[in-house]
Amino acid sequence: MKLRAIQGIRHIRALPLAPMVATAVTGTGRIASARERKSQYLYSAEIIGYKPKAGLHLRGRCSYSTNTSNTNSAGWKTTIGLELHVQLTAAQKLFSTASAKWDDSPNTNINMADAGLPGSLPRLNPQCIELAARAILGLNGQVQPMTSFDRKHYFYSDQPLGYQITQQLHPIGRGGFIELGPADGFQYTKKVRIHQLQLEQDTAKSIHGVYPGYVLTDLNRAGVALIEIVSEPDLETAEEASCFVRKMQTLLRHIGVSNCNMEEGSIRCDVNVSVYQKGKDRLSGTRCELKNLNSLKVIRGAIDTEVARQIDLISRGQVVEQETRGFDARGNKTFLVRSKEAAPDYRYIADPDIPAIRISNGWINKVRSALPELPEATRARLQVQYGLLQEDVETMINEPGCVQFFEQSANGRDPKRVSSWITSEIFGQLSYRTQNFADTPLTVVQLCDLLDSLASDSITSAQAKQLLINFMDGDRRSAQELIQEHGWKIMDDQAQLNDLVSKILDEHPKEVAGYLKGQKRRLNFFVGKAMEETKGQARPQDISRIVKQLLDARSK
Amino acid sequence: MSLLFLLRSSQRIPFKSALPQIKLLRRQQLSSHSTPLTSCQAIDSIEQSNSTLNAFVSYRTKDDIAKSEPQNGPLKGWPVGIKANIAMTTASTTCASKVLEGYTSPFKATAVEALEKAGAVIVGKTNMDEFGMGSKNLYSKYGPARNPFRPDDTVGTEIYDYSPGGSSGGSGAAVAAGMCRVALGSDTGGSVRLPGAWCGIVGYKPTYGRISRYGLVPYGSSLDTVGIMARTVEDVLSTFKAICIPDHRDMTCMSESLRKRINDMAKSRPWVNKLYEVSPGESLEIKQPLKGMRIGIPRECWVEELSEPALESWKAGARRLADLGCEIVAVSLPHLPYSLPTYYTIALAEASSNLARYDGIRYGRRSSEKPDDLHNCNASNKYANTRSEGFGVEVQRRILLGTYVLSAQTCEQYYIPSQKIRRLIQQDFDSVFALPNALHAESALAKSRLLTSRPAGVDALLFPTSTNTARLLESKEKNQAAGYVNDVMTVPANLAGIPAISVPAGKKNGMPLGLQLSAQYGDDELLLRIASHLQQ
Repeated sequence: MKLRAIQGIRHIRALPLAPMVATAVTGTGRIASARERKSQYLYSAEIIGYKPKAGLHLRGRCSYSTNTSNTNSAGWKTTIGLELHVQLTAAQKLFSTASAKWDDSPNTNINMADAGLPGSLPRLNPQCIELAARAILGLNGQVQPMTSFDRKHYFYSDQPLGYQITQQLHPIGRGGFIELGPADGFQYTKKVRIHQLQLEQDTAKSIHGVYPGYVLTDLNRAGVALIEIVSEPDLETAEEASCFVRKMQTLLRHIGVSNCNMEEGSIRCDVNVSVYQKGKDRLSGTRCELKNLNSLKVIRGAIDTEVARQIDLISRGQVVEQETRGFDARGNKTFLVRSKEAAPDYRYIADPDIPAIRISNGWINKVRSALPELPEATRARLQVQYGLLQEDVETMINEPGCVQFFEQSANGRDPKRVSSWITSEIFGQLSYRTQNFADTPLTVVQLCDLLDSLASDSITSAQAKQLLINFMDGDRRSAQELIQEHGWKIMDDQAQLNDLVSKILDEHPKEVAGYLKGQKRRLNFFVGKAMEETKGQARPQDISRIVKQLLDARSK
Repeated sequence: MSLLFLLRSSQRIPFKSALPQIKLLRRQQLSSHSTPLTSCQAIDSIEQSNSTLNAFVSYRTKDDIAKSEPQNGPLKGWPVGIKANIAMTTASTTCASKVLEGYTSPFKATAVEALEKAGAVIVGKTNMDEFGMGSKNLYSKYGPARNPFRPDDTVGTEIYDYSPGGSSGGSGAAVAAGMCRVALGSDTGGSVRLPGAWCGIVGYKPTYGRISRYGLVPYGSSLDTVGIMARTVEDVLSTFKAICIPDHRDMTCMSESLRKRINDMAKSRPWVNKLYEVSPGESLEIKQPLKGMRIGIPRECWVEELSEPALESWKAGARRLADLGCEIVAVSLPHLPYSLPTYYTIALAEASSNLARYDGIRYGRRSSEKPDDLHNCNASNKYANTRSEGFGVEVQRRILLGTYVLSAQTCEQYYIPSQKIRRLIQQDFDSVFALPNALHAESALAKSRLLTSRPAGVDALLFPTSTNTARLLESKEKNQAAGYVNDVMTVPANLAGIPAISVPAGKKNGMPLGLQLSAQYGDDELLLRIASHLQQ
């Protein structure tokens, strides 16, 4: 039920639309602006030939040094544990039938229970239980046979019930791990264990500063399902921590549990950091919690900064206090948010409105068998079965749907050629359009047509790239139809090409002389000129051969 | 052999009445209404006596009622009162609290919906203790409700200064004064049974989960039940049948399959089936309609605070059941003495949690006072004014106590042991009833299937509803805890989630007394049938 229809409610002030659209509705905004720029990128060679560099692509893999010694001063070691809050893809909220689309117009996706109306009761959404079970199974952990919900109390305007429904005592998942290894750029292999995985409610959104003196509340997000994944303190460097988060994102996207988009807040990261002197117990340091780290870069920066701060404090004979800190990325420093004394007493209590849930082995097995192949297995298989480069595998595996797209396209074709087209050409386009792979209208059939036309020499690679742009713009016609429309054909009349090249050589005596003196790279200049002249309809290798022949003839 | 002896003895001794058979009343005499109350008559009585009794906090006019024809159903035309903490769309749902001043719910409670579907006419909302917290209906933003009964020596005056009991005091007074035929209350620790006893009517708390809590504003969610108050057990039964339905909106409401499992178990008792075969009216002709039933007298209910009149009515009730053919045995519930502190720990802990949402932000009353410094105070300070002004003194006391028992240092000292004792109390009840507890799943069902002969154990328990007759509204308690002692007889049923009913059991100096019957989890139908014979 839309809140507007609820008479008993007041005091919820709607936000002016403009700032919400500008900040939150990123997806559609981006696509529209990319369309407007279409005319610019159509003929832009850099864009067509763009190959995503590691770390630059929106969803690409991050690169970092394989030097694992970190920035730690000599004699110091670091212990890191992570808490990840991940929004589930469930269509409805955790305890209500309201839509989980938190970025809709403010205060429209609300049910009685989300607004905490007197007499309303929570009703568990079974889809959330299934998604959480998928997540823990995907992490190689165990779904618990009995799970229950608790109330965590604190007063805040983004908390309509006065408590958050979470799982303190009996979380749905325990155990499991994520493995970091050479494939991730490390020179060693380590398992980072998962302590527990629990379901909980997201809070409403507080909006400060729009109306002076007021804090606005948007309840759309209140009650949206989250899972909190708590790692064991097995991590030791900022690189490991950020890699752990990246691999978690990949996994959860792959098994359809979450979009894991950090910018939109569908995955949020808190980090616990402590330092200890070499030779002492790993957990002997006092930990500080760093909250609200919203990108992989920020996670790395915050950890390194905090480690340096703690070492500095101890070195100067001071004590690290257990506290919650934030990270100022611009000033590159962490700051105090809340000391331990100010930490609220959450007064956990088993939620009496929600009975404990028993989960049978049969059900768990059903969920397990519905899981897709996990990224680690896919990664190994792609390298062995298709002989792909590790880098290409990483690029594809991080985009939902991409591996499947590749495998369908590679059927009966040269897999390396297919993967190279996907990772260079298609991802180049996606990157320019700031689109995700899942959003592109390009189909397997279109790519196969394109590659087959190219392989049978009916088009040149420049034409093929233009074809790809048409497809990714949403043109649904076949490759053949488009080739016909463009009037493309290969220019392979040798006599005609000979005349054309001779003419070019005659027009550029200076360059010819240079070549003959030994400036062999001038060859490319003539090829380029000839390709320009033929409007890309000739095969570059043909032109190159003819240019060489004619130049060699002139040298004699 | 006296009841006292029975209570003191350590063995189970069959109780035999030494008195001659009590002449059974005929059905017509059982029902207080010679002709059923109409909604017009109900409104007349409300208009006439509500200014004195303050039973209704809002009620409809005759014109308003005449506008719509009640739906066809078993309760067609029955005037019904609804406690002020049960959500309705047509009248405000304030829980008698300032914090919900003017709040009208956008949705209807499942029980209200079912009542209307059965043809009931809702005449108004009844007074109560704020959020159900109280035993005298004293703590209400509308002022106290008053008991229509007065001691013999004040009859003829205009003085009504006795409490109707709480927290559903308005519902109790309304039914007793003929302002409605049936009223819904809520029972967290005795809130329909105590007013039932003090107002001389029937107050019934069903098994936890029988009636959906959707739309009942929670006090202690694990203890709360919607309760039914009426003049006769028959009216209670008809109402119960109309609203005892599964509801997917309340996860703690019994599922269809659990209801069926309980029903199968309950019907598997050969010694009980006889009772189901005859309708309550017919059975009055039978000399010993309850022959074969075994009733337990819990020793631990004979508490120090029990007054002489209450003890006398308890004895009389036991005698009456014996005359009806019941076998009376003494039973022991060893953990019962701990039930009062256990109840107050759990109920208040849950209350502090359930009432956390009343912050004046989304609905209800918001304090007009601004915090001193908007920017330098945390969120809870901003709520402090609203909550301090909106909640009454007793609610504030209970929220603070509940917050205390859940705090980090005290939780393990109070809250967690209370949960354990609650389990022991449940087990005590399971150990005395012949019927197994359906919640303990398959093994219980298997056991019940094997029942060929009558097992040990009782079918119902009999004990007083309250330690004494109604108290004066103005009476000062020695300390706050003394006020809580009123609940000593009623809270065990809430802790165990089992059904319990208070039926009128005579008067002392013009003031009514009540007797309580309780049965195994889910055994509501048997309980109501036994109660219909006990009522006088």
